[in-house]
Amino acid sequence: MSASPLEKIRNIGITAHIDAGKTTTTERILYYTGVSHKIGEVHEGNTTTDYMDQERERGITITSAAVTCEWKDHRINIIDTPGHIDFNIEVNRSLRVLDGAVFIIEGVAGVQPQSETNWRLADRYNVPRIIFINKLDRTGADFFRAFDTLKEKLDIVALPLQLPIGIEDGFVGVVDLVEMKAIVWEGGELGAKYHDEPIPADLAEQAKEHRQNLLDTALSVDDAAMEEYFEHGDVEVATLKRCIKAGTIAGAFRPVLCGTAFKNKGVQPLLDAVLDYLPSPTDVPGIAIAAEEGEDESEAVHDRRRIKADPAAPFAGLAFKIINDKYGTLTFVRVYAGTLKSGDTVQNTTKDHRERIGRMFQMHADKRAEIKEVSAGDIAAFVGLKDTATGDTLASADDPVVLERMAFPVPVIDISVEPKTKESVEKMSLGLQKLAGEDPSLRLRTDQETGQTILSGMGELHLEIIIDRLRREYNVDANIGAPQVAYRETIGKPHTEIYTHKKQSGGSGQYAEVKIAFEPQERNAGIVFENKVVGGSVPKEYIPAVEKGIRVQADTGVLAGFPTVDFKYTLLDGKYHDVDSSALAFEIAAKACFRDGMKKASPMILEPIMDVEVTTPQDHVGDVVGDLNRRRGMIQNQESSGSTVMVRAHVPLKEMFGYISDLRSMTKGRASFTMQFHHYDPVPRNIADEIMTKSA
Amino acid sequence: MQAPRLRWMRGRRAEEAGETRTLEWVGCDDAGEAIARVVRVLGPLWTGWRSYRAVALDEDGRVIELRPGEPPDGAGWLACVGGQVVGRAALPLQAVRTAEAALSPE
Repeated sequence: MSASPLEKIRNIGITAHIDAGKTTTTERILYYTGVSHKIGEVHEGNTTTDYMDQERERGITITSAAVTCEWKDHRINIIDTPGHIDFNIEVNRSLRVLDGAVFIIEGVAGVQPQSETNWRLADRYNVPRIIFINKLDRTGADFFRAFDTLKEKLDIVALPLQLPIGIEDGFVGVVDLVEMKAIVWEGGELGAKYHDEPIPADLAEQAKEHRQNLLDTALSVDDAAMEEYFEHGDVEVATLKRCIKAGTIAGAFRPVLCGTAFKNKGVQPLLDAVLDYLPSPTDVPGIAIAAEEGEDESEAVHDRRRIKADPAAPFAGLAFKIINDKYGTLTFVRVYAGTLKSGDTVQNTTKDHRERIGRMFQMHADKRAEIKEVSAGDIAAFVGLKDTATGDTLASADDPVVLERMAFPVPVIDISVEPKTKESVEKMSLGLQKLAGEDPSLRLRTDQETGQTILSGMGELHLEIIIDRLRREYNVDANIGAPQVAYRETIGKPHTEIYTHKKQSGGSGQYAEVKIAFEPQERNAGIVFENKVVGGSVPKEYIPAVEKGIRVQADTGVLAGFPTVDFKYTLLDGKYHDVDSSALAFEIAAKACFRDGMKKASPMILEPIMDVEVTTPQDHVGDVVGDLNRRRGMIQNQESSGSTVMVRAHVPLKEMFGYISDLRSMTKGRASFTMQFHHYDPVPRNIADEIMTKSA
Repeated sequence: MQAPRLRWMRGRRAEEAGETRTLEWVGCDDAGEAIARVVRVLGPLWTGWRSYRAVALDEDGRVIELRPGEPPDGAGWLACVGGQVVGRAALPLQAVRTAEAALSPE
């Protein structure tokens, strides 16, 4: 596979807001590089990278797809990623393993919400990127307006390398500011034919101005290039390209190109820019190894050892995606160092066990070509790994490094799911486990109270697709319902209760008396028991029965039947009868004592309170805070960062159902949020009444 | 594009993130006399009782400008002629043009 020298490999992602033209651009790339012999279209459902049935039916990308192509003697591994926020995990894991990215911006709308989200993700992983302003043929397209949104919304130094020639229907080509020439597409042959010509006279002055801006910006990263400029008043094209590449990798500025992929204009120069300005695996500093146990992940990252791309070094790779198909499990691995042959054994250093590599494939969307060897810089799919999950490191036993871990978003929406037929229970469990293994943003658990299987995901669309896949791929039809909030009960004041259980109806009777003190405890204290019986008033052998009675009864609280937590009960005294007392009698007495005693100890219902972080553009902060207040939220703090504000609040889980949809509509999809469990708090009286009425 | 009128040479340099970068470009006239400079604003600088986030130094390392905050609009380069700051710019080549413009007779 690695016939290409490392410096001739580019591992890139194509990412953008939904419908900005990622898949359309990828299709053109595959056509112009000779991988495809016809161009697939999203609206016709025949694109290469959208191969899943759901993708073709809905016209959206759901899963990231890897394809490989050759352009001007270089190999480009491309990952086409989804645009919808529900599938953000795909963008996240792709950006984690790529060396560069092409951000596609819509020429009419400019930077859109998902572009902002993905941009921040790319910032997190320091991914060098170039920007392609697409759809310049559309009515209302405006290169300069879209360009301005880059500065406004992303707060970046955007550097145009091209200017459009014409706009909307009149868009025919681009001015190349690096070589100061015009590139014009001739029409026909699906955009494969284009030629260079002098810059049109009406654009000459504008081009000169932007060329000076390009020189000012690009040369500032290279002192030798500055000297060349001072000497000659200009620089060689090669010098300028070297500076643009250095600035792109360092993040000093972001080159901007333009075109219309759908009308087949601008894609070939974009491919040239990928080769010229995005890094090869040797141009990036290498991946950092993971922080040691207890070490601060963020602070020490610069000091940590980095694994440089070197085919001769010990093997190190990161599993970043897992898919299951009819042939078994495919594990996608980005190889950072070393060389591996099929049949070799490596160490899964994350889980500390050995894995044997069966077969290896170069993936082309859903098609695969078997390869015998992979080297540093490659992306390949391995078959035969038994226990390797997304984010695990595979490494040589000679240098068993653990690579920097992947961060996964926390699922925010739960649904309960149950098979329509009893026969499908096993199949559903197996199917969901496999789907959860593929998708780290999908969580699976069983609710202990209700016995329901709860699926947690990134949004309603995400879970809808999972249920659809369960039906299509595992042949399981499922009923879906809204999950219940996991309420708890506790007490607010101490109370001592005496209960006598006496039953005499012929034969041996039942007799037991217990005196129990109930006291509230602090949150998360659980249930605490103390035995203060003296003088054998309750014989030792009956004490466990008292404990059992309380614990069993505590599972069903006195208010609404939710588990009772955070209280202490002390067995103070009791009475027994030589003949009629038994363990069962003491258990029954303890249960009844609990039921009576708890009612007099100010019982209350507790609800889970979530720690919610909302990241929103400045202009929507008022709406977000007002809405959180309406949801009984307590604002903890607000922090500004550039044009965005992070609002942190404690909000009851009950009020957070459906929040993602409300937040999106409130902020035009520009805000995002995460939440995690924080603590339990008593519910207000009116809500408690509502809950008790429902449970009754 | 207009070629610079002065001969610009590297002035002071400093190690930054593992590479040596030029912090000052010196513009010389035909006689080789240094008559203009563009200087990158640095910081923070601790002056003994107060820390400044952004400062500019002359060729002898003397402080010629102190500012309590980041340069406005990212204008981190000062154009200096005859020891006076004649303008500021975000990029060194822009500052070079500013310095040369200040020297031109019109």
